[in-house]
Amino acid sequence: MADDRVTSDVGTESASDDKPLRRRRGGLSERALARLFVAPSLLLMAGVALFPVVYAFVLSLYDYTRRQRTGFAGLENYADALADDRFWDSLWFTLLFTATSVAAEFLIGLGFALIMNQAFRGRGVTRAAILIPWVIPTVIAAQMWFFMFNVTPGFINTVFNLGNFNWLGQQGWATFAVIFADVWKTAPFVALLLLAGLQTIPSEMYESGLVDGAGALQRLWYITLPLLRPSILVALLFRTVEALRVYDLPQVMTGGAFDTESLSILVQQFVVRTPDPGYGAALSTISFVIILAIGMIFVSLLGRALVLERTTER
Amino acid sequence: MRKGGRWYVALGGALVLFGAACTPGGDDDGDGDGEGGGEIVWALGGAEAQPGGVHQSVAELWNDQNPDNPVSIEQLPEEADQQREQQALELQAEGSNFDVLGMDVIWTGEYSENGWVESLEDVRGDIEGASIPGAFESATWGGELWAAPYNTNAGFLYYRTDLVDQPPDTWEALCDQGIEISQSEDIGSFIGQGARYEGFVVNWLEYYWSAGGELYNEDQTEVLFDTDLAVQATEFMANAIQDNCYAPGFNTAREEEGRNEFQQGNIAFLRNWPYVYSQVAGDDGSPANGNFDIAPLPTFTGEGTVSALGGFNNAVSAFSDNKDAATDFVVWAATNEEAQTMLATEGSVPPTLESVYDQLTDDPVMQLLGEILPDARPRPPAPQWNQISAEMQQTLFPAVNGEADVQGAVESVRTYLEGTLE
Repeated sequence: MADDRVTSDVGTESASDDKPLRRRRGGLSERALARLFVAPSLLLMAGVALFPVVYAFVLSLYDYTRRQRTGFAGLENYADALADDRFWDSLWFTLLFTATSVAAEFLIGLGFALIMNQAFRGRGVTRAAILIPWVIPTVIAAQMWFFMFNVTPGFINTVFNLGNFNWLGQQGWATFAVIFADVWKTAPFVALLLLAGLQTIPSEMYESGLVDGAGALQRLWYITLPLLRPSILVALLFRTVEALRVYDLPQVMTGGAFDTESLSILVQQFVVRTPDPGYGAALSTISFVIILAIGMIFVSLLGRALVLERTTER
Repeated sequence: MRKGGRWYVALGGALVLFGAACTPGGDDDGDGDGEGGGEIVWALGGAEAQPGGVHQSVAELWNDQNPDNPVSIEQLPEEADQQREQQALELQAEGSNFDVLGMDVIWTGEYSENGWVESLEDVRGDIEGASIPGAFESATWGGELWAAPYNTNAGFLYYRTDLVDQPPDTWEALCDQGIEISQSEDIGSFIGQGARYEGFVVNWLEYYWSAGGELYNEDQTEVLFDTDLAVQATEFMANAIQDNCYAPGFNTAREEEGRNEFQQGNIAFLRNWPYVYSQVAGDDGSPANGNFDIAPLPTFTGEGTVSALGGFNNAVSAFSDNKDAATDFVVWAATNEEAQTMLATEGSVPPTLESVYDQLTDDPVMQLLGEILPDARPRPPAPQWNQISAEMQQTLFPAVNGEADVQGAVESVRTYLEGTLE
């Protein structure tokens, strides 16, 4: 039953599940009718979301000299991209950035959410304060962290008495600085999503856990985390996909120097800065496929989580 | 799960991931915005384009004299790379929103080959001879005039007169003096533009040119890139980072970081553009104020000086609805003595009108500019300059920072330059 609901076609989502699909006299079946009604929005979405993807793919099959199309290239642009060390370097940075920043954001965000979920005096102020970083536009936050980390004016060096430590001007630490700024910026977002999830957990669960003698850690591990699973997956999905697309933070803080060039910076270079539409489109298609693949893993996990949740509820 | 799930994933995925795929090359803007009238939109960037800046004063002066064709400034970002991106987006879409383009000296070739700007051959006679030759040349490509000179620029060596008796003639002497001062005074020695962006290439070229190197021959048909001299320039920079001739933070510094350091008295030597002069001289709290002077950039041989030519010229957009008025304006801005004098006196924006230099001989900035501009060199305004510059940033920057082999880096720059000729 629960399975039915999830597996049913998108088109029939609004139709009643319980009734068998039957053909109405002289008309379309309910299913066909539903498809008809949904068609306009599907077309719109295809036009807005699918068309650019397809168009980018088409562009990627051609050769260009500056902005002029000079001929059909087949998959040559893709071969060039995959043979380019710069592509692999930026892919490596993007994956490293994503893995570390999302992990840190999740842990810190979970901590924040658990704190914000408690009833204590000043909770409203705390919630507001925690959310401030997330409200600041990313470019501005990036510029701010540039000033914080850079040798001039060097606020962080001054505060921690580090002399002229060159955070942004050497490998490793430049990556660290960018990740740090991202965690600062988006941990609150994760906290917000997880907090929403936490608030749907009925307090009876914890009460019965207490009655059964579960300690705080056990309650976290056996009650909070399993019930929070869908929220966690949603938060991770959003953050992972966003982190894989990261552009503004490294662009502003390091300009992509010292191994902090993300895939999006690379794509931007060939699409806008030194335009080579074919190569740029190939790079952007490759990044799209990578991000789509990783996103799909999350979506399928999420689907399973919802199924599990529904079955356990019944 | 199977079938329906896939739909979900495809659609949801496409939506969520939408931003991942950017599509290059929009076709049409369509709106044209051709309101007629006589309004001229002048698209330029930088600090002086902001309200209160000198370019606004120039626009006002024109508007007083030509109320039928008023100029309004469309403010572009501060950084040249981003200004170019904004203009390119508009021009690629054949949009008519910009009538006059503040065109950096290195974009002349690209813009003209893309058919984005009108030829100014018809008004060549009004401009040639009035403008200083280097600036005029920077507005030409393929022997044709594509823009009216407006603002030129060259690098200065700023130094602290309370710490340095005599400005150095050679880069080595600069480093020796700088390191000595930084040890005895506990301040930084020397800073320029060392972050990975166009400014890095400009600084590198000044070393390379001052060692006697060239990129191309006169008409860009042959590569004259000398790998030995390039190694010398690159190794000089790499060593300067190693032995603290460059102040800490050199490899993340752009113009403003260096200016700040100098203005706050944290540094003995600075390579920067003329705009810094009035900034420091106008800051009463600055330890450098009253204790600094400007000199031509040193060389490796101690002879002469070479600076990279900067600045921008005004071009008429090929998609403008108001080309005649726009042409009148760019010619006026290049040749009107009052407007050009304003650039020098109200801001530190070096003008291109030769006669202004003869009048303002008391001004130290103008005096030094008059001295070094004849030796200043334009970066090749080739259509591929942006790619060349990006390549040089990509290969030379790691070499300067000790992350890549110097020899290999300069070899690949040479190979790249040769590839641009075909």
